[in-house]
Amino acid sequence: MPERRHLKAIGALLAAFAAGLALFFLFSSSMGDGLDRTMENAGVEDGDPVYKAPFDYGGNYPAALAMGMLGFFIVLAAAYLVGRLAGKRGK
Amino acid sequence: MHIPDGLMDPLVAAAGWIIALSALAVITRRLDRRMDDRRLPLMALLAAGVFVAQMINFPVGGGTSGHLVGAALAAILLGPAAGMAVMMVILAIQCLLFGDGGITALGLNFLNMGVIGCLAGYYVFRAFPVRYRNAGIFAASWLAVFLGAAACAAELAASSIISGGDFGIAPFIAFPSMMIFYAIIGVGEAIITTGILAFLAHVAPGMLDMPGARSTSGSNDKDEVAPDA
Repeated sequence: MPERRHLKAIGALLAAFAAGLALFFLFSSSMGDGLDRTMENAGVEDGDPVYKAPFDYGGNYPAALAMGMLGFFIVLAAAYLVGRLAGKRGK
Repeated sequence: MHIPDGLMDPLVAAAGWIIALSALAVITRRLDRRMDDRRLPLMALLAAGVFVAQMINFPVGGGTSGHLVGAALAAILLGPAAGMAVMMVILAIQCLLFGDGGITALGLNFLNMGVIGCLAGYYVFRAFPVRYRNAGIFAASWLAVFLGAAACAAELAASSIISGGDFGIAPFIAFPSMMIFYAIIGVGEAIITTGILAFLAHVAPGMLDMPGARSTSGSNDKDEVAPDA
């Protein structure tokens, strides 16, 4: 059944994510991305957020793993819902 | 590349929202006509997988890091419209639940990473012959990031010019800095995307024969036509 193979493949990629997250905290958690570095180069700082989000990604491995799992399931449900609604509207 | 609140001139942020909402209207119509229920689990899993993958920053040297954007990956597997829908869901949840990217800049973030990323990723991939599939994936995913960064640099420059320097970043800093950083980060994106799709082609070859993707057999042109292209 192809769908089961797809699920297993995604599961393997998620396991790789859990391992990758540990490497992130070892090597790059303190580094900014390209936009952060561009802002730094220009002497520009983040403005005050207009909207305060209830969560963040966590500052250590267990917290980030928990947030990753929370986000995973929320995005999974939201994307499924969006696709489902689009499919229903089209019928 | 998630733009925070307060960085862009309000006019530029508003233009981003207008473009993003227009793109969403087109995507919604295309998905309405062409959404196949069999693609739903893949679409949802891919969205969730890209969300978690975006949390991992990889070092690219010089104290800079990058992370997978995933727009090319989503567009190659699902087609551009479904890929953009996936990116919008991810960006909205990152913004609303985790504070990653400002709510005023959500339209621009969707434009840079969702719209440009998916369109560039999908059409560059499709421009390559089947026998150069991996080269096509590499080029598509690199360009998806690089063009998104170029758009972001243009937005920063436009904000600076419109506001007289109160917002954004001067063009002579924004363009070279963004282009150089994301040319390098794009290589990471390309390696990861090519690796993921090669892995999926190996363990679940049917996944790459989904409607958004080029047939792995390379023998049937009809399989290569994406329904939402």
